[in-house]
Amino acid sequence: MTVAIVDYGMGNIKSIESALKYLGIKNISLTNSYDILEKADKLILPGVGSFRHAMDNIKALNLDQSLHELVINKKKPILGICLGMQLMTKSSCEDGFTLGLNFIDAEVTRFEQNSFRIPHVGFNQVNVDSNLNLYHEMSGAVDFYFTHSYKVLSNQPLHQCLCNYGSDFIASFEVNNIAGVQFHPELSQHNGLKLLNNFIKRF
Amino acid sequence: MLRKRIIFTLIYSNGNFMQSRNFRLQKVGDINWLEKNYKFQKIAFSLDELIVLNASRDEKSTLEFAKIINRLADDVFIPIAAGGGIRSIEDAELLFKNGADKIILNSPLIDDKDLVKKLVQKYGSQSIVASVDYRRTGEQHEVYIHDGATKLDLSLQKYISYLEQLHIGEIYLNSIDQDGTGFGYDISTIEEVAKFVTVPLIIAGGAGNELHLMEGLNTDHVSAVATANLFNFIGDGLPKAREKVILNGLNIAKWLY
Repeated sequence: MTVAIVDYGMGNIKSIESALKYLGIKNISLTNSYDILEKADKLILPGVGSFRHAMDNIKALNLDQSLHELVINKKKPILGICLGMQLMTKSSCEDGFTLGLNFIDAEVTRFEQNSFRIPHVGFNQVNVDSNLNLYHEMSGAVDFYFTHSYKVLSNQPLHQCLCNYGSDFIASFEVNNIAGVQFHPELSQHNGLKLLNNFIKRF
Repeated sequence: MLRKRIIFTLIYSNGNFMQSRNFRLQKVGDINWLEKNYKFQKIAFSLDELIVLNASRDEKSTLEFAKIINRLADDVFIPIAAGGGIRSIEDAELLFKNGADKIILNSPLIDDKDLVKKLVQKYGSQSIVASVDYRRTGEQHEVYIHDGATKLDLSLQKYISYLEQLHIGEIYLNSIDQDGTGFGYDISTIEEVAKFVTVPLIIAGGAGNELHLMEGLNTDHVSAVATANLFNFIGDGLPKAREKVILNGLNIAKWLY
């Protein structure tokens, strides 16, 4: 099993590597080379920071085209984490309108200004669907660690599971070989390790 | 519902982890010792967050400290906040690269406001924790920086409001008087601060058993309870404390798998 973490210069890579090592994955690479990404069994798209900045970096490295080829044409399994998940949508309104990778029919918007403090930071519960591959052998409301100011919304069937913080938003989705989680499984103890293991084993 | 948190604070100084009492440090052991005797990875599974403070009193080497963070980050799958001795963007970057998810600032909050602003801009408010050390003198509070060595000429309320204007993400409120005593948190001060603080409040100083943790978690506007008490909580102390906190129905995350 080889896992490639897509390197575009943003995100806490160290924690993802540690979690994968804990799960017994020996071949982990951090790369933006098409050849190495192409050889990997699974891809992880990480990310912390601004959507616009991330897309600029991704385009500068030609990763938008590489990922489109690998994920859409070659159907390679990919998991987007936090900003990585948001980048898979059509667009975001962060720092002005920015187009995303357009893997799924969804959009990124800012949390509404209400009495809930933004960013949404901490452990919160996701209502999981045990029939999904991501949540195999998991059920009910499961705690995961979130830290974000923008959220993903969609009217399309994406096998989404929701979390509530002032209002409902998409905490995860999975469509065939493409999965995304708004939370950080690598920072969510056994709950997150179980989810990462499900991605590795079932996609 | 957003959960409250139980945090363990590891105090590091020149190669060793320390037990602190009223800010006087006593050596406990190095990282190998921590892993071997305290099976730290196992203990970390009963935490929601780990804080690691570099309390070296002479020249604080961020390079050495970052290596410790890197090693701890191999073992824990929760957010790590690290700080003590951050004096530049490069220091912060080094800690983030080695696995820190947040950084903790104390002295630069007064000594280098520009650095604080730059760090907030670069990493976002949610990544910046302001550590506030204080002592009680009767009804008043004295705020300290420089590892408790320099007293500020500001009330606790004015200081916290100043920090909020700098857009720091959280306050780590630590009572020097209660620190390491195991006598419980300074709840009356915490209740007072809870009335005016607008960012998440982490309380520290004094927790000696799970009842103290619960008392803290039950206080309005407290987002997290921290303890640095290696002697009282390490071993099976933390797993048992977490179990009791959950049995008592408090709002903390459950690790099911």
